Amino acid sequence: MPSHDQRPPAYRSASGIELKASYGPEDVPAEHARVMGAAPGQPPYHRGGFPQGYRTKPWRIFQLSGFGKPEDENERIKFLLRNGETGFLMEHDRNTADHLYNVDHPDVVARKEDVGLTGAVMQSVRETELCLADLPIESTFGHAGGAVVQHAPFALAAYWTVAKRRGIPLAQLFGTGQSDFFLTYLGCVTKQQVPTAPGLRLNADIIEFCSEHLPKWVPVSIAGYNGGDTGLNAWQELGAVMANAIEYLDEVERRGRMDMTVAAQRVGGVNFRTTMEIFEDAAKLRAARKMWHKLLTERYGVTDERALRMRIHIVTSGAYMQYQQPFNNIVRGTLMALTAVLGGTQSLGVSGYDEAISIPSEHAHQMSVRIQQILEHETNIPAVTDPLGGSYYVESLTAELERRAWEFVDQLLAQGGFLATLDSGWLHARARENQESQAIAEARGERKIVGVNCFKEDIAPWEVDGFPPVTDAYPVALERLNAVRRERHEQAATAAMRELAATCRDPDRNIMPVMMQVVDAEVTIGEIGDIFRQAWGDWQTPKLV
Amino acid sequence: MSSVANETTHATGSPAATDGAPRRILLAKTALDGHWRGISVVARALRDGGFQVILGGMSTGTEIVRAAIDEDVDLVGLNVGGHVEVAERIIGELRAARADLPVFAGGIIAPWAAKRLRALGVEVFPPGSQLDEIVDCARRLTGTEPSDVSG
Repeated sequence: MPSHDQRPPAYRSASGIELKASYGPEDVPAEHARVMGAAPGQPPYHRGGFPQGYRTKPWRIFQLSGFGKPEDENERIKFLLRNGETGFLMEHDRNTADHLYNVDHPDVVARKEDVGLTGAVMQSVRETELCLADLPIESTFGHAGGAVVQHAPFALAAYWTVAKRRGIPLAQLFGTGQSDFFLTYLGCVTKQQVPTAPGLRLNADIIEFCSEHLPKWVPVSIAGYNGGDTGLNAWQELGAVMANAIEYLDEVERRGRMDMTVAAQRVGGVNFRTTMEIFEDAAKLRAARKMWHKLLTERYGVTDERALRMRIHIVTSGAYMQYQQPFNNIVRGTLMALTAVLGGTQSLGVSGYDEAISIPSEHAHQMSVRIQQILEHETNIPAVTDPLGGSYYVESLTAELERRAWEFVDQLLAQGGFLATLDSGWLHARARENQESQAIAEARGERKIVGVNCFKEDIAPWEVDGFPPVTDAYPVALERLNAVRRERHEQAATAAMRELAATCRDPDRNIMPVMMQVVDAEVTIGEIGDIFRQAWGDWQTPKLV
Repeated sequence: MSSVANETTHATGSPAATDGAPRRILLAKTALDGHWRGISVVARALRDGGFQVILGGMSTGTEIVRAAIDEDVDLVGLNVGGHVEVAERIIGELRAARADLPVFAGGIIAPWAAKRLRALGVEVFPPGSQLDEIVDCARRLTGTEPSDVSG
């Protein structure tokens, strides 16, 4: 029996905040205490953007999905929608999309079996049409893919071109792009990529184009998730997301073509991750909304309420899903989803229970949807907005995360800003420090992971083998590439490519109108990539490992 | 040019070797998938275990074979981020070039794929593997005694 005078272990949150055995009113700092009672729908919005919360608008069930041929991805999206998903998300093949290579690029041919493993191959708008076949894009919230910065202009233009060909006005479309700097330059560093400066220009072009033509579209989505799963802790993730938003908004302001209220509204659809650190991560979402309100009002002088409410999409952390005893991940997915809902997310994707093994099987995908439906329909949690509000503990965590996150923003700005910390590797070094301390804590057993470094006996009668790879994505994509080359109107394609090259060289022109022409002329991603590479060269990757 | 690993880095810990010369490990990624957290953590553990770690980045079979020979490594670690067939082909190319060169593998490797690699005599470390097991395996495969720097 443990003696009571034994020195207690130091209790800390995952991000290092010291935790007390219990909390009281004295633990909420005065600045936060002054505003903490503001109702949901009232500034500074830490309690939520809308007074009725999930009563009037349930969170969107929104799962990453895609693999193989466009037809395979299409089938999976329909499966998810049939099962109750309320928006859909397109994944593109990493080999081709992230690098803007066609499948006959030598680097892709060398590993052709990988093609289609984690997303469908879409080299031209023809393949995007196949992926979107029969999907009601005029009435469904869609994510066009384009997670990686240099790929986004094509992914978006292809989605929008499919809509135009169906006679759907662009202004009617609602959905989202991504163009995420965290993924592209921090978490999943591609072999080839446009440098950060033209990357910023592309994103600002997309923001401006959407404000003019697609008012219901989220042009880019800052994904703190990708910073978090690479190693950034909760307040680093928060601070880096704000610093990323500053880059976008400063750039849009510098260009001077857009009203900052509109710009703020466009950039205000943001993604974070939730982990098993339930209270800290729920508090993170509350702090994020409060910080957004402060950033927009103080730095940019925005006053319009609609622009001051941050909208949040959550993906439950893939890094917290374990390879060993994978059914335990259903519990983990549930808890991380619960965290997102308690934090007031607008949209949610739950990692598959086979996340550490493969892309989701149909069953894992269905479970991710079911977890969300159980939370929505069986728990009565949606009845009350911000159910954690007023908890001394959660309010204290919210305030402390905010304080540390602003300090981190100051550090990032002192380093020259978010982009500069990607170019220099400063942000990668912060992620690496946490990767290392986490690995040490796991090795020493200080951080326990059930079924992995403790309680390892497994009597499950089923083996989870994940989702088997599709084997014909490469040959089919190659055939389609050759067909496009053969059948397209070559003169129109050449003219569009020439126009794109000229636009890349002229920073005062917006790339998106010409990208629409390029896509419509059935120019392929490999050709677009060659034009980008010619114009901008390759990002100099900082030291990662 | 961007790649996950763009420079050769050397051990700072005590040499993992019986004859004084530290053993050299090439760590390479088989897929065009740039997630680098896994390889970063493993590279650090191997360096702390006294190995010289040469990072090959996202490499094709041809590039991995060339790096293994040019760098005269004692062991190759493959970060398998894609289809197991790609890893199998690379292992075949490595063995054709240097039959005595041991190979181990880690990454998102499904149980069925791990079985195929193990059938080729390749030790496999899926997610959740303990870092000291990986370092011990590297010592075994390079014929070095457990170093006194561990723990």
